[in-house]
Amino acid sequence: METLERTGADEGAPDQPAASAGGTAPGAGRPTELYVKIAGGFVLALGVLYWAVVEEKIRSTLLTVIIAVAASAGIWIGANLLFNQVRGRWQMFNTIAFAVVGAVLGIVLHGNLVTIGSGNGFLTWVIGPLAGAAAFGGLGFALAQTDDPSKRRAIALGSSIAIGLVIGAVIRDAYQPGLDPVAIVVYTLVGIAVGAGLSLLLKHPPLGGALIGAALGWVLGAWGAADLGDGSIGTSIIAALVPAVLIGLRLGMTKNPDYKARVAIDNRSRAVIFIGPALAFISVMLVIPAIRTAYLSLLNKDSVDFVGLDNYKAVFDDKNSLDLTNWTNMFTSVPFILGVILLAVAVVVGVSMQKRTGRAVEIGNPTVAPLVVGLLFVCFGAFTAMRGTLINNLWWVVVVTFVSTAMGLAIAVLADQRGGERVAKSIIFMPMAISLVGASVIWRFVYTARDTSTEQTGVMNALWIGLGRLSTGSGLPTIIATIFLVLVLVGLFMVLARMLVRYGPGRAVVPGILIVLVGWLFIRFTGIVGGGVGGFQTLPDGSVGGQTVFFVQETPYNNFWLMVIMIWIQTGFSMVILSAAIKAVPTELIEAAKIDGATTSQVFWRVTLPQIATTIGVVVTTLIVGVMKVFDIVKVTTNGQFGSQVLANQMFAEAFSFQNKGKGAALAMLIFVAVLPVMIYNIRRMQRES
Amino acid sequence: MSATTTTLSGTGQPGPSSAGQSGGIVDRAYQFLRRIPTGVLWLIVVVWSIPTLGLFINSFRDRDAQRATGWWKVKPSELTIDNYDTIFSARAGLGRSLLNSAAIAIPATIIPIAIAAFAAYGFAWIPFRGRKGLFIATVALLAIPLQVALIPLLQMFVGGASVTLPLLDKTIVLIPDFDLAGTTTSVWLTHTGFAMPFAIFLLHNYISSLPKDLFEAARIDGADHFTIFWRLVLPLSIPVLAAFAIFQFLWTWNDYLIANTMIGANASQQPTTILIANLAGDFGRNEYILPAGAFVQAFVPLVVFFALQRYFVRGLLAGSVKG
Repeated sequence: METLERTGADEGAPDQPAASAGGTAPGAGRPTELYVKIAGGFVLALGVLYWAVVEEKIRSTLLTVIIAVAASAGIWIGANLLFNQVRGRWQMFNTIAFAVVGAVLGIVLHGNLVTIGSGNGFLTWVIGPLAGAAAFGGLGFALAQTDDPSKRRAIALGSSIAIGLVIGAVIRDAYQPGLDPVAIVVYTLVGIAVGAGLSLLLKHPPLGGALIGAALGWVLGAWGAADLGDGSIGTSIIAALVPAVLIGLRLGMTKNPDYKARVAIDNRSRAVIFIGPALAFISVMLVIPAIRTAYLSLLNKDSVDFVGLDNYKAVFDDKNSLDLTNWTNMFTSVPFILGVILLAVAVVVGVSMQKRTGRAVEIGNPTVAPLVVGLLFVCFGAFTAMRGTLINNLWWVVVVTFVSTAMGLAIAVLADQRGGERVAKSIIFMPMAISLVGASVIWRFVYTARDTSTEQTGVMNALWIGLGRLSTGSGLPTIIATIFLVLVLVGLFMVLARMLVRYGPGRAVVPGILIVLVGWLFIRFTGIVGGGVGGFQTLPDGSVGGQTVFFVQETPYNNFWLMVIMIWIQTGFSMVILSAAIKAVPTELIEAAKIDGATTSQVFWRVTLPQIATTIGVVVTTLIVGVMKVFDIVKVTTNGQFGSQVLANQMFAEAFSFQNKGKGAALAMLIFVAVLPVMIYNIRRMQRES
Repeated sequence: MSATTTTLSGTGQPGPSSAGQSGGIVDRAYQFLRRIPTGVLWLIVVVWSIPTLGLFINSFRDRDAQRATGWWKVKPSELTIDNYDTIFSARAGLGRSLLNSAAIAIPATIIPIAIAAFAAYGFAWIPFRGRKGLFIATVALLAIPLQVALIPLLQMFVGGASVTLPLLDKTIVLIPDFDLAGTTTSVWLTHTGFAMPFAIFLLHNYISSLPKDLFEAARIDGADHFTIFWRLVLPLSIPVLAAFAIFQFLWTWNDYLIANTMIGANASQQPTTILIANLAGDFGRNEYILPAGAFVQAFVPLVVFFALQRYFVRGLLAGSVKG
């Protein structure tokens, strides 16, 4: 309980610039407590580690991971220590840096058994790297000694010729390349063009880049394109010497940098060292695969033949993806008609507001409620008439985003400065920690429907059948429930009357809508229209029995019951963020409005809501992105059956179950295109902020 | 703005709070109605906790009890921990899958923290050309749906990556096949890549807001970037590192999509989410141990969540744009 009391302590902290998702303030939290927790976590990790080591298979994996991580850390720290020398000790840096290059070259050639004398145990293995380090280190040391351009040219060229000759001479017979002049020429020219172009792009003289490019092109053309083993010692010397000389020429053009240039080198290299690993991971795991997915989406299922946009066409032509055949049905559906009526009410209210305040619609005026609810009803009506994966996805986005944001906002306002706020928010926030798989399992038990001859074990069906029994029964509970409904109706009428008398018809819209809903429930419950509400059916013998709802199986409403799972999770998220934003609204603003005579609800609609509009935008965009990708819930509950398929699950099924890479990639690209506007919006916002 | 102001002062009527004393039946009823919001709040709280509560109670009831009555009719006599015994047994293998989950979540939490901290420092405090553009490009990837990377990534883990040179009909192996297909390693490597934009964004927000004087003073004392990062930035950033760690741990522990793509049917490497999803998949047969399994699966993140909720909330507030 102790932890519960403390939960969410941050949300009210004044140093949280949360409203714009701007970031965290430094120096937060009590350090000792944090250290205790870190120590606790460490002990826990050690325990898991011990457990892992006992398991044979995990041990080997763990060992590999630890070695790989340690090696990477070693390289990273080593690179930092090396470049620490740039500013103060150029000569040392130059020597070591060249030696490292030489050693790497030695490892690549000697370690891969390309050179003569390699492959006879540890001692010969070290010879290559050591020789490389010595030769290159000497060159680096010599270059750092003199600033005279002609001397530098001589040193660089002489050493590179020697190194090229030696490398060419020690290549094993099996690796001597048979030269392919066309490839060499083509690649060298391409290398020159690319190198010179890059240099020009970075506003350097093009010659340097051209030399490097030519060297790389030569290596690619002479070694990469050739059939290894066809050549002689002569060809391998040609293949090695030319690039060495080119690099030597480039080296000769350099001069020892002065302090200012060295600072620039330090910063540039440090940028690579610090940012490089992250960019490498991003490119390999995210950017390059994404580009390849775009390419795969244009190929057929085995990624062999180019099919153009056929995969996309297949998605849109598929009746399971998009079925609009019955779209005219929506005009006859009850929600659609109700929605149209509400929209008409909104128009009437809007016109009257236009006359009174000059604005038909603004945040917090009475037009908003019928407008939003009416739109939702119209959309609902449209949804029941159309089918397909794309429509489902659209619905997930609209419903989950709207309901989660609205509920989160409502709870944040309800809980604000009320007793037990932290406990309440903590419990509503808790589903965020549970996996979507776990949540789906939890709700599967809530939705369970069992044969009506046995007792219901799912809460929803038990309540539904209970309601049916209450509605169709005639005992004391039914009477009590009827009286309760009457009391609620009377109460609502009193509110309506008070609103009408005190504030005019505008404020009476919400109670009016509520009265219509409760009144409809009352009429149904008492059986004035229809036989009652709830899960019941009239059996052939005239008696009344239970009737379950198959929440997960009944199309199209099962979609909404699956969305409830997502809403259950995401409401906590929007509540936490909006709650922090509400607490960040300056109290002076609210006080001033109250002094001017604004009521609590006016303060909320006219002051608080406009203040947190940006944060609502952040919540909505985050939810849209999250919901577009929804996969786990559908996969676990229905796996896309019963008309509940969504893009992400279909993509998984096509790509990994049916092995249709092309269509899977096309579906993935559709998800990407759907969130593209959000990405652009985020970029715009970040550019504005920085 | 002026329209709003006129409306505010123009209504002018006394608010409900000042009308409370008059004692008429309408006003007294109104006072009662004013207390409804608190009731609504706690009603929502109850509704929100019922599903989890039901799962928790059912996990302690045997198969017959679960099938006979709803969890709200639980009797003390039918409580048992047999379900937990069953789920941890060798056949169900929850123990092994917990290990696998840890083998994914621990490296997938620690390694991104290190790499992202380097990058965040680099973007915040190392001046170089094109820094802003590169940063925005990196962070723009926040919202990218993971689905667009999955197919090529799986291919890479199965067969490595190679590129065929144009004109030459020669294939160069860029990434050799490390035999990672279907292993936990492939899952946490993927998580590491996917976590990068968010981690950099979150840590950069914090690290770039550290006071500039601090860095200038350290520079004058002769400290280099490495020392500044190691001795200054890292200790000061512990709160935000903790925030990200919790976020990432929950995310990786609870992930199903990536694990299911990379590991799939390889039973010996399955994390808990796949195990639970598979249990839920074979209808009926194992339904009675499902509550216990789901509860164990949720137990670790719930402990982390309740112990470190402050940091989790901070991470959410600072980075609520994750994709």
